[in-house]
Amino acid sequence: MTVDPTLLLAADGPVTFPILPALILTPLLGALAIFFVPARRDDAFKQIALLTSVVTGVLSIYLLTAFETGEAGFQFVVDQSWISEFGISFHLGVDGISLFLVVLTGVMFPIAIMGAKITHDIKSYYGWLLVLMAGSMGVFLALDLVVFFLFFEVVLVPMYFLIGLWGHGDRIYAATKFFLYTMLGGAFMLVAIVALAILNQRGVGGDLTFDLVQIAQNQAISTEAGRWIFVGFAIAFAVKVPVFPLHTWLPDAHTEAPTAGSVVLAAVMLKLGTYGFVRFGLYLLPEAAHWAAPVMLTLGVIGIIYGAICATMQKDLKRLVAYSSIAHLGFVILGVFSITTQGIEGGILIMVNHGIATGALFLLVGWIYERRHTRQISELSGLQKVAPVFAGVFTLVMLASIGVPGLNGFPGEFLALLGAFQTARWWAVVAVIGVILAALYLLWAYQRTFHGPVTPGNEHFRELRWSEGLVIAPLLALIVFLGVYPAVMLDRMGPSVDALVEHVDEQVDDFERVEITYVGASDIPEPGHDDDSDGPASDEHGEEGE
Amino acid sequence: MSTLLAALSQLAPDPGYSTPRIDWHGLAPEIVLSAGGALLVLLDAIKLERAKAWMPALANLTLLGTLIPILTLAVEGSTRSLFGGSFVVDPMSLLLKAMFLVVGYVVILLSTNYVAEGDYWESEYYTLLTTSILGMVVMASARDLLMIFVALELLSIPAYMLAAWRKGGRTSNEAGMKYYLMGVFASAILLYGMSLMYGVGRSTRLDVIAENLARPEMQSGVPIVTLAMVFIVVGFAFKVSAVPFHQWAPDTYEGAPTPVTAFLAVASKAAGFVALIQVVFYGFYVRPDIIEPLFFVLAVASMTVGNLIALRQTNVVRMLAYSGIAQAGFMLAPFVVVGDNFDSALSAVVIYLVIYAAMNLGAFAVIIAIARKTRSAEITSLGGLFSYMPGMTVAMTIFLASLTGIPPLGGWYAKFSVWSALLGAETALGVAMAIVMAVNTVIAAYYYLNIAKTMWFDDAPDGDVAPVKVPVGLTGAVGIALVATLVFGVLPGLLTDIAAFGPVSAALGGG
Amino acid sequence: MLLNQFLLLSAILFCIGVYGVIVRRNGVLVLMSIEIILNAVNINLVVFSTYWGIGGQVFALFIISIAAAEVGVGLAIVLLIYRNRRSIDIDELDELKG
Repeated sequence: MTVDPTLLLAADGPVTFPILPALILTPLLGALAIFFVPARRDDAFKQIALLTSVVTGVLSIYLLTAFETGEAGFQFVVDQSWISEFGISFHLGVDGISLFLVVLTGVMFPIAIMGAKITHDIKSYYGWLLVLMAGSMGVFLALDLVVFFLFFEVVLVPMYFLIGLWGHGDRIYAATKFFLYTMLGGAFMLVAIVALAILNQRGVGGDLTFDLVQIAQNQAISTEAGRWIFVGFAIAFAVKVPVFPLHTWLPDAHTEAPTAGSVVLAAVMLKLGTYGFVRFGLYLLPEAAHWAAPVMLTLGVIGIIYGAICATMQKDLKRLVAYSSIAHLGFVILGVFSITTQGIEGGILIMVNHGIATGALFLLVGWIYERRHTRQISELSGLQKVAPVFAGVFTLVMLASIGVPGLNGFPGEFLALLGAFQTARWWAVVAVIGVILAALYLLWAYQRTFHGPVTPGNEHFRELRWSEGLVIAPLLALIVFLGVYPAVMLDRMGPSVDALVEHVDEQVDDFERVEITYVGASDIPEPGHDDDSDGPASDEHGEEGE
Repeated sequence: MSTLLAALSQLAPDPGYSTPRIDWHGLAPEIVLSAGGALLVLLDAIKLERAKAWMPALANLTLLGTLIPILTLAVEGSTRSLFGGSFVVDPMSLLLKAMFLVVGYVVILLSTNYVAEGDYWESEYYTLLTTSILGMVVMASARDLLMIFVALELLSIPAYMLAAWRKGGRTSNEAGMKYYLMGVFASAILLYGMSLMYGVGRSTRLDVIAENLARPEMQSGVPIVTLAMVFIVVGFAFKVSAVPFHQWAPDTYEGAPTPVTAFLAVASKAAGFVALIQVVFYGFYVRPDIIEPLFFVLAVASMTVGNLIALRQTNVVRMLAYSGIAQAGFMLAPFVVVGDNFDSALSAVVIYLVIYAAMNLGAFAVIIAIARKTRSAEITSLGGLFSYMPGMTVAMTIFLASLTGIPPLGGWYAKFSVWSALLGAETALGVAMAIVMAVNTVIAAYYYLNIAKTMWFDDAPDGDVAPVKVPVGLTGAVGIALVATLVFGVLPGLLTDIAAFGPVSAALGGG
Repeated sequence: MLLNQFLLLSAILFCIGVYGVIVRRNGVLVLMSIEIILNAVNINLVVFSTYWGIGGQVFALFIISIAAAEVGVGLAIVLLIYRNRRSIDIDELDELKG
């Protein structure tokens, strides 16, 4: 792809509006505005935050509509030299892989901002949230290794303060743990990035460059060096995902974070790691990724089973959801490292759908906490009788999280397992147990919380408010829509994923590309159609009537 | 009268001697600074009470005035070699001179209220500060062992006095004494090394020394070369407080008046590094087999020991002292690849030095501002800072984040350039150094984070959250450091462009 | 030429000086030990200057004058401490945990 550094050109036809920088700058400008508004104007902050995040969200949706379906390469590319000494430039672009994560970020942040109330230090709260949004956008858009690292680290700081200042319980411990774990990964990643750029320069000659696309196309480094560098990246991403032995920060951070923090943590932050594996593992270092696949698959499967078992044992509703995230992200790892088109597509689908479903679950748990000031499952009982609509919404979201066909959790898990089944059969077989366990722990938790007698303290559990319904309605709509019509995503990501697998196939000698015989992504039997009359659908109707 | 003239003519040099042509433009910064310093002494001597109030302003004007010839020299951009190559004015030295002057300016801003309100001799304070800065400015150009020694003493002797400056303060005296004894001992060892180096290098000029050391018969079997280099490096290791020559630093930093501590931790340490740059990158680089392992040991020990001790400090100044030791380790790291990646290593050290000066000075400025209210430097006394000094809290958080190395603040670029120098060399030592540094970055993150945590999350220990008024000078100091930290992080190209010292090193045959 | 003997002399002086700095507890005696090291340095410089020209002697002159300034400051600080504490034993400087 040719890039004109002076003009902001899209791949096809000129788009004069630099939409990708705007996606990063809009929330940043919002944060700046909040910084300069005097602290006593409490009411202004939420409005500024909401306005800028909604504008960003609208821009991201516009990006979705303007995105050229069927194109494999990067679109809306922007390339502006930054540190010419080292060949670092603000190279931004989206392809089918990052597109939906960008849209997810654009959609989830306004919802998180609307969905959670905060009582103190309002100014810095919204300021940090907007910085976080800008950082997350930057990670998904960056096509330069150093710029990627920059945003990857920048998101740490706001998250640290969000957990530490507005969290619950042992919030400072959780925040510190989160920060240090991620910092550890980040330090090694920067070393790996620098080493990669230098070795690439030695291999190809010419100027030093940190450009992702160039380095990925050159593949000029030796196999062994590539593997070491992959390890450097993998530590950073594995901490962020989190992959099994490095996951221990997540339950603490999730549980102690404020509602908005948990929502964006689950919906967006965890995807930084899995996205990193796709973009900087498979694309940048295909040989090393293929080499490491068995280990990663094993860790992914361990994550699935371990997360599910831990979730089953939790007494705290929020902690349960946190552990379920570990299990879901295990599926992403499984799909991505199966290195098949279906597996990777499935992985990306899970990333997005887990963001929607788990984000919604955290919102609901946050609202339960607002009402009851407890998240202990044992203290909640019979909520369905007191607040039927709330229960209905919860059921729908929970079923999506379980992966019931017809809702958005299903297509991703199905494709990931399908992909893994081609190249990593036994891992896939073990992972299926995770699907069953997911149903077990979520349904059991639901049963204990919402069914049963109405115990004292729960009689006055407030029904879902209109305002809350409006906040969560878009998520419910997405859950159903993406469940019955995943093709809207698959069509756009298909070419990019195909190109990625082809790239791996070209670069790795002992890699055998597995072709699946079915016709194409858009021709997947749409699972939702068989189950239209199923329970979740009726619950959804109930909610719409509310 | 005529007899006197006749007597003088007797003393006239022999015909073979011609008056050296002096490049006044190249010397202009030093001349302006000396003149300003002399003026300060004069004003102090005539004891004009009214003049006392003008001393800080006058000192500041002197420093700013010195920046003018530096700017004109920078615009001209040529490399000037004075006094037969002992004094070189090139873009890198101009960058360093400007850094010392700006650091001095900020330190004077920090000191003005502190010195006026505390129990100090006021006028002499500024004279000494200006003199010390003059020594640093000379150091940036010195390419001769004698010149380096004179510059080192010129900057150190006033600093010894400043450390002991509090009237009747027992801790301040003790700080001064410890600093003095360590400093003098270090310079004695340094001199012994220099005398040996003069013997094997046949000159005091670094370029001649490099030539002579590079001769084949000097390459092996001359232990005196190793000895001389080790003594010289050890002498400067005291100055930059590298482990195991760091013991004076925490005590001196804690006991000295805090603005002086800032000056020692930033300017004096930077001057030590500049001296190391001069001797290593212009003289000893021809013997990487000695220099690289030596610096590897110093760097690894400094960053590891500094960080581990910093972890358990309860006093914020002591913590900054130990973190400064660790940061010195990061700055020593590029020396490990001097033989294999000359240019990158040189620019990495200079870049780190400039950025470190900005962020560390900022941190000290905030501490001085906070101490106006808390009257303490214990970390716990910072609790609840966000509730009564939000601006300073944000500034401190930015400085700490920069020291941690979080982009897009200056600190990350400093670390980045060190890493690219280390890995670009593709030597085992370089890679090992890079990995040790990565681990240490994470350790350091913990104690920086701890301060941020206290400021933001804890409650004020005395429950007093009335807003505190910060003097304009202090706010200005914090502002300058903040702008520098942010600009170097967001637009590091500025720094690398100014420090375009490729031609210099190429002329020396390095790289 | 007696180069080696001179170097040996200066090395011995250096060692005596370093030993003195390490074991002496009296501030003034520490200063004197440092002076011994500086004398070792001067011997080296003067001896080498017989081979390499006048530079070493100039260096030695600079060291003599600067050392005088240094000791002046040092004695001032020692005096300051004596005034405040009535002792110049550097082991008693322990108010700062070091």
